[in-house]
Amino acid sequence: MLFFSYFKELVGREVTVELKNDLAIRGTLHSVDQYLNIKLENTRVVDQEKYPHMLSVRNCFIRGSVVRYVQLPPEGVDVELLHDATRREARGG
Amino acid sequence: MASEEESAVKEPLDLIRLSLDERIYVKLRSDRELRGKLHAYDQHLNMILGDVEEVVTSIEIDDETYEEIVRTTKRNVPFLFVRGDGVILVSPPLRTA
Amino acid sequence: MSSGPGLESLVDQTISVITNDGRNIVGVLKGFDQATNIILDESHERVFSTKEGVQQLVLGLYIIRGDNISIVGELDADLDSTVDWSNMKAYPLKPVIH
Repeated sequence: MLFFSYFKELVGREVTVELKNDLAIRGTLHSVDQYLNIKLENTRVVDQEKYPHMLSVRNCFIRGSVVRYVQLPPEGVDVELLHDATRREARGG
Repeated sequence: MASEEESAVKEPLDLIRLSLDERIYVKLRSDRELRGKLHAYDQHLNMILGDVEEVVTSIEIDDETYEEIVRTTKRNVPFLFVRGDGVILVSPPLRTA
Repeated sequence: MSSGPGLESLVDQTISVITNDGRNIVGVLKGFDQATNIILDESHERVFSTKEGVQQLVLGLYIIRGDNISIVGELDADLDSTVDWSNMKAYPLKPVIH
């Protein structure tokens, strides 16, 4: 639940989602669910020259299972809050 | 105040809990390695790392000699969420004796 | 339960699906479920290659299993019509390696 809650707080921010097929998509986080499926708005593929496949896609749903990384905006990371939430979760909270 | 129960290491994830706010090494699938400060994790080993260095190792074949050339690509990312299913191992920071 | 990133808003719309083996299938979304299984009508595959422009392959009515789906994109029709796909050359997308 920790990361589901975290990503819900991040809605509206710009993120870059890197997939396990090496595609990187930048966009505004629109929503997330408990599987960490992600919906992005105003998307653009980071290397559009190499990957023109999604040129006419502006909004997309990314299946959580194919996500490798999400690059987070520094202003969207509260380190102390994350530590507390992690300790709470580790206790089985 | 850390109680005795909180500092005891009984299972692998306890060791990771002790690495919170410390720099750790993470080996991932697809020949990727990360070094960064651990800010959050869960039971799937999903993580948030800060001040991350990623090293990707790839092997290319030389066109003429057919020799294998090992190439490493490095990059730095301020904050990275890492999906746990790609994690092979996590190593806590080295403790100096 | 808060509203997650369901596909409700895309029903009856043209979508572009990227599958885990790197294919790109375009069609009209007719249905979906929790596991991201989807029903695609009037679907066709856009085949990318470096030798020639994008080829269209007619597929028809397809049900795609969620486990094999990477991305479901909302196809912007106006934007799509401005792209000269028949002259677009690119490597096919790489497969997802879990």
